[in-house]
Amino acid sequence: MPSPLDTVRVVPKHHPLVRLTHWINVPVLLGLIASGLAIYWAAPVFLHAYDPALHSRDYLANLGSAIAHSIGDRSVDPRYWVYERLSLGPRQLAVSLRWHWALAYLFMLNGAVYFVGLALGGGWRALLPRASDFAESLAMMRFYLGVIPMRLLRRPWPHPDIRSKYNALQRSAYFSMSLFGALAVLSGWAMHKPSTLGWLERIFVSYDGARVVHFVCMIVLGGFVIPHVILAIADGWDTLRSMVVGWSTRVKENTHGR
Amino acid sequence: MADEIEGREQPHRERPEIPKPEPPERPEMPKPKPPQPEMPPPPRQRPEEPDPKPPKGPEMPPPPPPEQPTRPDVMPRPEPAGVPPSPGGPEITPPPQTPEVPPPRQRSFLAERPETTIEAPRARLEAQSRRDFLLLGLGLAASAVGAWWLLPDRTKGQMVGLARRDRLDTLAARVGLSRASREKTLDRALTFDDDVAEALYSRNRSVRTYRKSDVTPLRNNYHGQTPGPEHIAGWSLGITGLASGRPELLSLQQLLGRFPHHEQVTRLICVEGWSAVAWWGGIRFADVLAAFPPAAGARWAALRSSISLDGAGRIEPYYVSIDLDTARHPQTLLATHMSGAPLPLDHGAPLRLLVPVKLGLKNIKAITDIAYTSEEPADYWNERGYSKYDGL
Repeated sequence: MPSPLDTVRVVPKHHPLVRLTHWINVPVLLGLIASGLAIYWAAPVFLHAYDPALHSRDYLANLGSAIAHSIGDRSVDPRYWVYERLSLGPRQLAVSLRWHWALAYLFMLNGAVYFVGLALGGGWRALLPRASDFAESLAMMRFYLGVIPMRLLRRPWPHPDIRSKYNALQRSAYFSMSLFGALAVLSGWAMHKPSTLGWLERIFVSYDGARVVHFVCMIVLGGFVIPHVILAIADGWDTLRSMVVGWSTRVKENTHGR
Repeated sequence: MADEIEGREQPHRERPEIPKPEPPERPEMPKPKPPQPEMPPPPRQRPEEPDPKPPKGPEMPPPPPPEQPTRPDVMPRPEPAGVPPSPGGPEITPPPQTPEVPPPRQRSFLAERPETTIEAPRARLEAQSRRDFLLLGLGLAASAVGAWWLLPDRTKGQMVGLARRDRLDTLAARVGLSRASREKTLDRALTFDDDVAEALYSRNRSVRTYRKSDVTPLRNNYHGQTPGPEHIAGWSLGITGLASGRPELLSLQQLLGRFPHHEQVTRLICVEGWSAVAWWGGIRFADVLAAFPPAAGARWAALRSSISLDGAGRIEPYYVSIDLDTARHPQTLLATHMSGAPLPLDHGAPLRLLVPVKLGLKNIKAITDIAYTSEEPADYWNERGYSKYDGL
């Protein structure tokens, strides 16, 4: 039983709404990608001339064949590897559309809560790009590139002195992910209601333009997750925990940590 | 998740509900506050700080703790960059009890908390950690169970094998997560989206039209085999559900002679995701509706092709439902021509629906019958898990 007198010095990190919307995004985005790829299977937008060796006109089918052969997965048609393993599966259009609409409305609701919370609570200031970001980004990249070599060489390699909540790389990543999330929603609506929202379709030039943008948004949002998770784990338990509980025990002293 | 960590905050006491915008440089740095040091000084020299906030409950009695027991099971090892939680126990003098009137806590829930060190009761942090991790675990478990419930049967079989899938499905069905409830839930997503589409629809909004030079190849996407030419010679359109009470039977010549011809170049968009721009010609559905008004109370048109074929070439009627508001849209045609020539068999000779405010699957080919109804009629693809409204 800890004494009721015990106190811990902590720093507030993430607002409850940020934490809530962050974690809701995890299953929602996974489901959106899984159902979205299954929808994409019905009529791929990235097509090439028919390849008689692969029986395909679809770049994702080629990618699937390459992956299936390289990892030796023979349990599915290699052309459908991407669709079988990363989506709800080929020939699942009706159910995938229903998944996609349900999750898309959740994603929009979740995003609205996030944006309204940031706007009214002032949290947006920590994400806004700054004039110093370019120089700081270079310093951060130099730091990240040097972490492993310098540890091997047992040389000190101090973290750049960051006096804001996020460093420039984090800031630009989090800021642009918000934009890509919004762009995914807009291009999704442009595809979903091109007649009702004709002005939106025209912003993406054409119906297929919206499809290409929507697909690219998926790649960018999915691609962001890889360095995001690696860096969060590399940064340590305190960073992971702060996204659950909201505070950090990395107390800033005279010089700031992160 | 609702509440925030409570603790004695060192630098800031009063903050406006929504902090004023600060200069773009270093916005998170707390504003200088004359009476207190900007950064908390090292613990050993930390001065006593008055706390206007009264302690809640028994957490903060006056005597300081003689020793700070470290609890590595709850509080992780001190990070190198951070500071071990209160190493100098005796030096940290807890704030005196302030019997004076404490200012009420003014911070709004939405307000971002400044990143300044606060002294929080360990017991409360632990309780909140437990609660937040429990919520995260519950959320993850609910997501996993929900995903399993909503996944298509084939996908689940691919993931875990058929035998294990059926065992897990039996378990899920025992708590009400059955296939029937899955379909109901997913259908609700579809009808919600349909309601949104219907609310956005306006008969006065025209869909985008293209130039004839924008026309792209349109594939024949007949679900089954393409009907042959034999039915065209004796073709007629039957209409029922009319205000007159009598069914009508109209030949192609009667339709073409009676109603003005309209042309449009519009995009046909398939639910599968492909689309094509085509040049269509035909009569307006709205004109037919005006000349042969439906019975009072009719809100729907059931369009049917009784010569449609399945994959083996047997008759398999195709039918769609169209709300009359959509049927009256000026760009909704009963199309008889494509690219300036009579409709080819591939695209629904001799008469098809062209409704560019709907997905391609509503653009029924080779129509033989129209029935106006007050109840929503059956729709071929809706019975197979697709939307009923299909508004674009």
